[in-house]
Amino acid sequence: MTALMERLERHRWIWSALGVLLLWAVLSITTGRFSLHSLSGVAISASFLTLVALGQMLVVTTGRGNIDLSIASVLTLSAYASIVVAAGSDARLPLALAAVLGIGVVTGLANALLVVVLRIPAIIATLATGYILATATLIANRWAAGFSMSPFLKTLAAGRVEGVPLMLVIALVAVAVAGVVLGRTVYGRRLSAVGQNERAAALAGIRTGRVITCAFLASAVLAALTGMLLGAYVGGAFLEMGQPYLLQSLGAVVLGGSLIFGGASTALGTLCGSFLLILIVTTMQIAGLPPGTQDIVQGLVVIAVLALAGGRAVRRRRSVPRVARTPEGATP
Amino acid sequence: MTAAFPAAQDAPAARAGASAPLNLSPAGAGTDIGALHAPVVRLSGICKAFGPTRANDGVDLVVASGEVLGLVGGNGAGKSTLMRVLCGVTRADAGSLQIRGVEIAPDLYDTTLAQTGGIRIVHQELSLCDNLSVAENFFLEAPEAARALPGWRRTYRARARAALDEVFPDHGISVDARVAHLQIGQRQMVEIARAVATPQVRLVILDEPTSSLGLERSRQMRAFIKARALQGLAFIFISHKLQEVVDIAHRVLVLRNGRSVWSGPAVEASVAALVQAMGGASESVMRGRRDARPAIGEGARDLVRLSGALVAPLGRDVVLRAGEVVGLAGLEGSGQRDLLHRLHRRPGMGISRNGDASFVSGDRQKEGVFPLWSVLSNIALGRLEGRAPLGLVHDGQERAAARAAAEKLKLDPARFDSPILDLSGGNQQKALVARALVGEADTILFDDPTRGVDVAAKEDFYALIGSVTRAGRLVIWHSTEDIEFLECDRVLVFAGGRIVRELVGADITEQAIVDASFASTDGSERDATAGARGLLDRLVDLAPFASLAAVFALMAWVNPLTVSMFGLELLLGPAIALVLLALAQMFVVGGSEIDLGVGAFAGLVNVLSATLLFDTPWLGVVALVACVLAYGLIGATIQLRRIPAIVVTLGASFIWIGLGYTLQPTPGGASPEWLSAAFAWTLADVPATLVLIGVAALVALAIDRSPFGVILRGFGNNAQAMTLGGWSPLRYAILRYMLAGLFALAAGLSLTAINTASDVNAGGPFTLISVAAVVMGGCALIGGLISPLGVVAGALTLALVGALLGALGVSTDYNAAVQGCLLLSMLALRALADRREARR
Repeated sequence: MTALMERLERHRWIWSALGVLLLWAVLSITTGRFSLHSLSGVAISASFLTLVALGQMLVVTTGRGNIDLSIASVLTLSAYASIVVAAGSDARLPLALAAVLGIGVVTGLANALLVVVLRIPAIIATLATGYILATATLIANRWAAGFSMSPFLKTLAAGRVEGVPLMLVIALVAVAVAGVVLGRTVYGRRLSAVGQNERAAALAGIRTGRVITCAFLASAVLAALTGMLLGAYVGGAFLEMGQPYLLQSLGAVVLGGSLIFGGASTALGTLCGSFLLILIVTTMQIAGLPPGTQDIVQGLVVIAVLALAGGRAVRRRRSVPRVARTPEGATP
Repeated sequence: MTAAFPAAQDAPAARAGASAPLNLSPAGAGTDIGALHAPVVRLSGICKAFGPTRANDGVDLVVASGEVLGLVGGNGAGKSTLMRVLCGVTRADAGSLQIRGVEIAPDLYDTTLAQTGGIRIVHQELSLCDNLSVAENFFLEAPEAARALPGWRRTYRARARAALDEVFPDHGISVDARVAHLQIGQRQMVEIARAVATPQVRLVILDEPTSSLGLERSRQMRAFIKARALQGLAFIFISHKLQEVVDIAHRVLVLRNGRSVWSGPAVEASVAALVQAMGGASESVMRGRRDARPAIGEGARDLVRLSGALVAPLGRDVVLRAGEVVGLAGLEGSGQRDLLHRLHRRPGMGISRNGDASFVSGDRQKEGVFPLWSVLSNIALGRLEGRAPLGLVHDGQERAAARAAAEKLKLDPARFDSPILDLSGGNQQKALVARALVGEADTILFDDPTRGVDVAAKEDFYALIGSVTRAGRLVIWHSTEDIEFLECDRVLVFAGGRIVRELVGADITEQAIVDASFASTDGSERDATAGARGLLDRLVDLAPFASLAAVFALMAWVNPLTVSMFGLELLLGPAIALVLLALAQMFVVGGSEIDLGVGAFAGLVNVLSATLLFDTPWLGVVALVACVLAYGLIGATIQLRRIPAIVVTLGASFIWIGLGYTLQPTPGGASPEWLSAAFAWTLADVPATLVLIGVAALVALAIDRSPFGVILRGFGNNAQAMTLGGWSPLRYAILRYMLAGLFALAAGLSLTAINTASDVNAGGPFTLISVAAVVMGGCALIGGLISPLGVVAGALTLALVGALLGALGVSTDYNAAVQGCLLLSMLALRALADRREARR
């Protein structure tokens, strides 16, 4: 029994996977028309969310309550940039890709500079860069005349192979890469160490600044690429398109079983968390709940999951005394 | 052990425990015959285990009124655990507890009961809130005399001054100085004075009170202890300096591996006997071990060179070579740790190092372990240094490397897969040392490595030092136990941040180290300057007001109409919502948290007051009260579940907006008449909104300056110390959030009154600006430092900046970017200023 609990404790993604299966089963039975086909719609939405959430997960893993709040603006701005720069032709796609990557890299570096060098709390730093990007989006909105897409990008975002959405394949590859990086590489170890105890990590010879910078870079670049693909998928860009991803990316990470205080995260869990969250939203839409209620439910889900998981994190970590003198014997 | 516990705790005892606070009241104590003769405290058979470690194993402790009990034991002997049990911080697994003759059931005993019983503990810097003044810290210890009236501090100022004068004549500490501005020794003086000055104090526990006091202060304190003991106050005196213990104590209790091994009158104790009882290696054994190490060869590489100001008192450079064990000694905080950290992180400025260095800290929780990992992962991290980020890690290779290191340390490899926190302190420390060994570093830096480590693990550690140096590494070792330096080849003694003596070989004795530590005490004894605030600090305080004046002047220059009362109302009137939200945010930031839902909450209140409150007033009032209660619930959730406030408030912001949408899908509604009227009067030609801004500022200021505000700031700075001091973190988290909720509620109402309609999205943009206003107002995001007037000035400045951009013809599209840039530049400037101060 305790062995089972320990396994569950270690593989926290199982809970969200169970949630996905349960909700899917309920939907299939109650609505009768919720089939594999409608699941592929959920899969595409969840794939976009997964890409953003993977970046958010890396930032959350750096610990100290770090969160990237700029992803919503990065996503929107990149969607605009890819449309304005590509102007509907495949020939200009590399240029558009460069612009989108540029947005991601610059934002990521700016966030990291503020957090690592100036020691500004990540939420404030990313909230502020997000505001600055929002202004850039307003300006881009004036330029964006047409909504013509690059055909290749359109295929990538909306195409299917053997009925399987290409976006799902992209998301699964990203999850696999993130999973390997987190679990099997030197960087993954360092990231987890920094997230658990930054001071100890620095004393163990880890260059914590670099590790944190990489996480912020990855988050911004992933959000930028998602913006480009999402713009191609929905066939245009609009001002509020990134907004839902702010809470949902965080929600997916938390639902997936990554610890909000950092140090331990799971790419597979983030995938399951994304699916679960999208399924919840879909369920609410099928049930005909008004948008206001959907907001309330999403907010409640995030708080409830955190409140349930919070105790576990405390038990594992205990409160670390602020002052250097730890009473002897208090270290179990 | 737990099975025996219920038997020991029969029903009458439990009843006595429940009624204990009544019996302990000061009036009752004098008349209670039994209490007169009973010892102040009597602990018997105290057991406490942490996982596999038996920190206390059947310990008895009795302290009589007017008695000084010396408590000694090596690191990890269980002294601190016993004191935590005595103070109600840690609950004993078994044993019984008697306070002034009253039996108290161990599971009822907590910090509040300990405090009521007159027990106070002083441990270094742990229990002061350094954002508060000395007098305010005295208030936290004994809040009974405080009234929520102006001038309430006077009592505590007088009490603090009297207490400091009594214990440390000529202390030179200003009672209005912020504790953060005091030197470490002065903080310790404040702590000691605060504990002994508490009304109805019966027992003062002094945990290493002299570790950072100068010679004269230490003498003053001991004289004071003797004087107060004669008047009936009891003391427990814990020190590594055994001579001090023998001199001052009436009785001595020696602990070893969680058991009491010797107890008797101090006159029968000698330093040598105590050392033997403590079970530590005797001087000769330690010296013998050092002599058994092979001599350092002529060809040993120079690994570290110290020069410049650091070694100025020696007048020559110090060169440390491979194969040596070098100790860093001196009073605590004299620069030993600084040197270790500089050696590890950034050599330079007179310090040069060849090869790599790894660091092992004795403060395992804070600087050592990665709590989510297994023992193996904790050790294997040492092998990652210098590897490429995307290189793969192999479990098998790690295991082999870790096994080799663990064998040297006698750490059982069978425990590699256990979570690190399941290990005892000694074994955790072994894992950390193993982490350093699996790396290839030439120099290993130890920072008090045997803290909280049992005797056997300590022996293993000492033995290891020899094999490490034989392998050609350099060991640099800072310890708080002077006797450990006998293991060293060389000892560098620090005083006032410099190396004042170098002791080699047979010259290393505890006495020589102590003498050298005090040899040049000019640095630590000079304490008159602290607490004075420089001109620069005052300028920083004025910055929010100066920038408000500057922006206002610019505005007046662009548009002269600004200076008229009409212009002011037009410009600043709408800012009232921002001012109120910024004040709400300020109280949350004061608790070192950030509220991302404050704007959305104001939007919801805006909707509620323009719909429900307008249509069905009583229902509207109920809804608004429920909103404030919901804010309290958020505070409770954050505190109880220990989850980040940002995520909870971000989630809550969606709930607020969702509720608002559900109530009113499109903007509309109307403002209740009385509400509009409340914002539409004039006082001597000054419009209501401007007056109300002033009122809001004064209310926030009054709250902040009141005892309640001081408690909130205390929690923002050092929640742990506040909790130990008997303050309820849950209650104050709820109150803090409800206070913020009230200010946000007022902001939402002001939006309704001014816009005469509602829109749930009206509040959203205020979230970032409220944070910006708080930062501009001079509050620290880490909490504990807030300034209501500065925040109001900051909010008004930001409102004016928006208007200024409009007047200059800049599109409103740029507002968000300008606000974001302003916030970032303020924070960047603050960060640079802080860094400069830290360097100073």
